[in-house]
Amino acid sequence: MVPGMQQVVLNTVQYALFYLVFSIPLTLSYRTTKVMNFAHANFITYGAYTAIFLHGVLGLNTMSIAAVAAFLVAGSMAVLSNLLVFAPLQRRGSSLSIVMIASMGLWIVYKYLLYIVTDIAHHYTAKNFVSYGRITYVDIPRIVVGGAELSQALVAGLAVASITIASLYVILEKTKIGRAMRAVADNPVLAEVSGIPRALVANLTWFICGGIVGVGGVVWTSFSGATTPEAGDSMILQVFTVGFIGGLVSLLRTGIGAVLIATIENMGIALLNTYLNVPVSFKPFLTFTTLIATLILFPPLGAGGGLPYRFLRRGSRR
Amino acid sequence: MAYSTRAVALAVVALMVGLAAGYGLAAATTGGRATATVTVGGSVATVTVPVTSTAAPAKKVFSIGFTLPLSGELSSIGKIWEKVAQLAIEDLNREVQAYGFNVEFRAVILDDGTSDEKALQNVQSFAQQGIKVVIGPAASSQVKVVKSYADSNKIVIISPSSTAPTLAIPNDFIFRTVGSDAGQARVLATLAYQEGARKVVVFHRNDEYGKAFADFFERYFKEVGGTAIKVPYQTGLPDYASEVAALASKVQSEGADAVVLIAFDTDGANILSHAAETPALSSVRWFISEGPHGAEELLSQAVGQFASKVRLLGTRPLFIANPLYEDLKSRVAQKFNVELSVFCENLYDAVKLAGWAILRAGTYDGEAIRAALVEVAKTYYGPSGWAMFDSAGDKAQQDYGIWAIVPGGPKGYQFKDVGLYERGTVIFLERPYQ
Repeated sequence: MVPGMQQVVLNTVQYALFYLVFSIPLTLSYRTTKVMNFAHANFITYGAYTAIFLHGVLGLNTMSIAAVAAFLVAGSMAVLSNLLVFAPLQRRGSSLSIVMIASMGLWIVYKYLLYIVTDIAHHYTAKNFVSYGRITYVDIPRIVVGGAELSQALVAGLAVASITIASLYVILEKTKIGRAMRAVADNPVLAEVSGIPRALVANLTWFICGGIVGVGGVVWTSFSGATTPEAGDSMILQVFTVGFIGGLVSLLRTGIGAVLIATIENMGIALLNTYLNVPVSFKPFLTFTTLIATLILFPPLGAGGGLPYRFLRRGSRR
Repeated sequence: MAYSTRAVALAVVALMVGLAAGYGLAAATTGGRATATVTVGGSVATVTVPVTSTAAPAKKVFSIGFTLPLSGELSSIGKIWEKVAQLAIEDLNREVQAYGFNVEFRAVILDDGTSDEKALQNVQSFAQQGIKVVIGPAASSQVKVVKSYADSNKIVIISPSSTAPTLAIPNDFIFRTVGSDAGQARVLATLAYQEGARKVVVFHRNDEYGKAFADFFERYFKEVGGTAIKVPYQTGLPDYASEVAALASKVQSEGADAVVLIAFDTDGANILSHAAETPALSSVRWFISEGPHGAEELLSQAVGQFASKVRLLGTRPLFIANPLYEDLKSRVAQKFNVELSVFCENLYDAVKLAGWAILRAGTYDGEAIRAALVEVAKTYYGPSGWAMFDSAGDKAQQDYGIWAIVPGGPKGYQFKDVGLYERGTVIFLERPYQ
């Protein structure tokens, strides 16, 4: 037994929840719109910063309000990105890689835009927004398990992940619009021919995906000891790894990927460190070995099978 | 088609704006501000608009480059430094004008994101602009990266905060207005031992600064009779929860009685706030390097309470009870409404030294300025104390203070200097955490 295993387990759960909330929307948006979106990182950061500005400028420390605001901010951002950049490029017949490169451009634009906003906020409040300490929220219930109180981030993470999964299930499986989203994912041309408003479905998907990630960003502010305008950037590679494990198609396998990567990054490194004295700084090495192994073992796009149509259809039902 | 062409054009424009904003923002805003303030009081009375100084008899303008960590892992203190740099340039201009020099110093401030590559890019772009004196970069790993370029292009680099002993190299173009960590590691080792720690885990950044500090700490802690176990962590992560969990395992399995943290500000605050939630780490003492001092994130309730629980004590280069330091502190508080962080005084002195060295050199040439800098520093005394350089171009006379995080101030907690290092022992001026 590794000493301090309890904390390691808690961290694993916490990270699994984060990766789940960040990567399921990535998979959902990719399979519906075919945009490999690097600005996904900004949705995380902007969500977090919505909470940070509400806290730092207005003194608000209610997570539920911050979460609603962050959903709107990050969701609108995603829709705007689609309207102004992705959709026009796709209409012109740009390849997947061109759209992907444009999303990288957007990533940089959004990042520096946030730096500008933090500078302005800093000017007026004299508070440091470029690195913001953990926020303690007032509306998160205290939950005690086995004598130990769960952290706010864990409680909030569990709540947000369950709500996300439940509502996505209901939307995708039980509603007309969800069926339309799945139809567009399966075969966009056929969907359009059969009367599904493809552009509307795409925008709605972007709004939901951006919004969920933004709410995840709010939870991040109750977890991280210091959030920076690059918080999402340094997580995006892990989030993509999780997405690739799901082949960017299967939501179920994306979920499994989230648990797998969180376990490797937390349990794996703790065990290796304790028994084999592997330095903790090797953590990213493990993550990316897993990524490469997944891609090599299951081409073309990881364990979900990726793009071929038959996989798409099978995957999307999961 | 026309619509989509327009949209693409729009996307491209957005991209360009983003890039331009990214690279140019810091320089543009700060440079402009500095210019506007420093030209006030030009020697000719008809000059009413400060920026358009066409009527003035050719005032000589010298640019001083700044590569500062306005984003990234040192951003919390970098933001404060930016203000101190502006103040120092204003003071310098007022001073040289009082001496009758018809010159003006201008700050060109660039953000290096606490990244090694960007620091080098900044120094290279300074070189292209013909700038021969650069203040910064902040981190030792950055200084190491810019060193060979600076040496071969004869650009004088004055870092106010790089402390890695490995960079104490004679006859190069690198100067540091702060003593090397060989000194601070001894103080931290003395402090930890004096406070009763015998077996410590040194949790350190896996970079130039962290590794060198940890090595020197281990050496001195062994000398005084303790045992140090080094645990490096990867830098630049979004969060350090799993690193802290691994640290907790190490502390328990080794039966250590203290943790020594060698960190910057963002990572330091992150690590401390996770440690606060880990019982195994709340029952040992914590000692900390100068890196996170002054960072606002450390004044959160979680970290503040943790600090009193583990009686957290840190060391930092400081000349205690220096009236010039107190004066700078109150002026910065008054003008910008911020508290001085670690190395602000060293940055202030670096700017003053650079200005006077340029004037003493008589010519804007790297080699001449380097020689003049050594001479100017011999007789310069500022907020960081006596600035004289040793043979390696580091501050020769460096004192160290002990700091703590105590309740009080507008944020609920505040940094406080509580002691100093004197002839091999740590003397407390007051006892925090009682």
